[in-house]
Amino acid sequence: MISATSVVQSLLSGMAEGVNYSLYCLGLAFVFGIVRIINLAHGEFLVLGGYIAYWLLVKWGVNPLLALPLAAAMAGVAAFVSYRVFLQRIRTSSELNTLILTFGLGIFLANLYLQLWTADIRNIGVDWMEQPLSFFGIYVSVGEILTILISLAVVFGLYFFLTRSRTGMAIRVTAIDRDAAALAGINVERVDLVAFTIGGLLAGVGGPLLGMLAHISPGAGLHITVKAFILTVLAGVGSIPGLLVAGMILGVGEALTVTFINASYRELFGFALFIAILVIRPSGLFGRRL
Amino acid sequence: MGNLTRAFVSERTAGCIVTGFVLALPFLLSFNPYYTSVFVSALILGAVAIAWNLLAGVCGQVSFGHAAFFGIGAYTSAVLVTKWGFSPYLGLVAGGVFGGLGSLIIGIPAFRLRGPYFALAILGFAEVMKLLALNLTWLTEGSLGIMNIAPLPPLEVGSLKIDFYASRTTNYYVVALLMFAVYLVVYFLRRSNLGLAMSAVHGDDETAAGIGVNVFRTKAIALTVSATCTGVMGAFYAHYVRFLSPDTAFDGYWSVMPIVASLFGGMSALIGPMAGALVITGLDEFVFKRFFETGHKLFFGLLLAVVIVWAPTGLLGNRVGKRSEGDKR
Repeated sequence: MISATSVVQSLLSGMAEGVNYSLYCLGLAFVFGIVRIINLAHGEFLVLGGYIAYWLLVKWGVNPLLALPLAAAMAGVAAFVSYRVFLQRIRTSSELNTLILTFGLGIFLANLYLQLWTADIRNIGVDWMEQPLSFFGIYVSVGEILTILISLAVVFGLYFFLTRSRTGMAIRVTAIDRDAAALAGINVERVDLVAFTIGGLLAGVGGPLLGMLAHISPGAGLHITVKAFILTVLAGVGSIPGLLVAGMILGVGEALTVTFINASYRELFGFALFIAILVIRPSGLFGRRL
Repeated sequence: MGNLTRAFVSERTAGCIVTGFVLALPFLLSFNPYYTSVFVSALILGAVAIAWNLLAGVCGQVSFGHAAFFGIGAYTSAVLVTKWGFSPYLGLVAGGVFGGLGSLIIGIPAFRLRGPYFALAILGFAEVMKLLALNLTWLTEGSLGIMNIAPLPPLEVGSLKIDFYASRTTNYYVVALLMFAVYLVVYFLRRSNLGLAMSAVHGDDETAAGIGVNVFRTKAIALTVSATCTGVMGAFYAHYVRFLSPDTAFDGYWSVMPIVASLFGGMSALIGPMAGALVITGLDEFVFKRFFETGHKLFFGLLLAVVIVWAPTGLLGNRVGKRSEGDKR
């Protein structure tokens, strides 16, 4: 029997999951919105962050939360190197070329992880974070609350960075009109590099959170990338607050699918949603018309 | 796009060289069963790559999810043959038909949009198909997989009996035949008016529409033909390997490797993907696996990245990504 409490429980955990989804897809959405590159290696950057945290935890017992900066930095470095060595050279060619290129980089990284960390599924949970807290019969773990706070902080941090800081404004101007930005003295090539690296950093933050809440494995990246792309399209390209809404829609939808239908069909919800947006509103919920 | 005269070797010469090589290969390998089976996989891959390249190289639509059609074809045939007693030869046909039908499910919504949306929609589609194969247990046996799939029954031509169960070499030549069939379909399709329309769409959607090409229909046909050929190869695979599980039939390998093979072999030559498949398989078998046993596929990723940045023409092609200048974003 499905009780009212279990519905509320699944709604809430869906929303919590959704906030984290928006963090997982933030890097991809940001890079797509600014640099107009769909980074298919996004999920692999995220998984890299997760493995860094895993390593720190296993080797030195570092709490995954403390590992966040290093995880982000390493994923940022990976993004920086990918851009400098490969992407920069075909930046001006067709969109499909960058798609294939980042896909290749993703395959490279996923198999590198396989070689380095084997195919085992890793969880980097810490005991005290898995303690459940109960409010009126609804259970939330400490870790869930913490990760939501972190996700919200990062999303709003990025939002304020883009709207308040000089670099952020330069990035936005470049996204709106490249030529005008260049005329105004903005080094647009540099903006691309910076934006792509930030995309990597953002992905890297998601990794340890994913590892704490669920698990990471070498092949997990592509899955994340697909989900991130679905959310980016749902939110509308270029809308960062929209990502939070989109994330929650996906999270709640998946949670309800699990409660009412079957846990194994949870992944189908995202895809059904994706097809529905493509057909009904390709510009996304908050995006400009394509 | 279709200008073959500027290529390093002409399509016809390249086709003959590759054909000759394919026919001679079992002799070169002195019928070693292990290596023959490696190159049976290479030919299956080559045929899928040729089909993939019809969509990408000729029509300009990159698919990241051909594993979906491969798996649909494989499962269609396996289910029909094991559960309903169809002949495996009919299974090959049915595999193709269902592969083609499956492609319409995703093609119709995704082709309404331009550029990368199709590429990504199909990536998700492949994941969903794998998920369905895992969960529709009444049909697919789920993660247990379908075992003991009947091999293609022996053919008797006069007094000659061709047995597919006993000999890998026979299988090799059958898959070679299928591969040439796929090649010929793509070859003649490209020379037809429809092929010209596809080239026009590859060049630029809007210009093509401007000169009266029905862009949506052209893309849909390219996708359907490509998926049908891929489905047939999937069905053959089912009867060759005789065991299917969602992880093998919908393996990302069938999405990734046609791209690697096509780019490596050259997307502007129709036979390029086949050449790429042979070379890549050889490299993987004799070189990559010696270096990294578990993660040897990382070379494929690296190869993709390196080829697209530094050698976009591939082995046999003249030019890839002609849309570079003036490509709208």
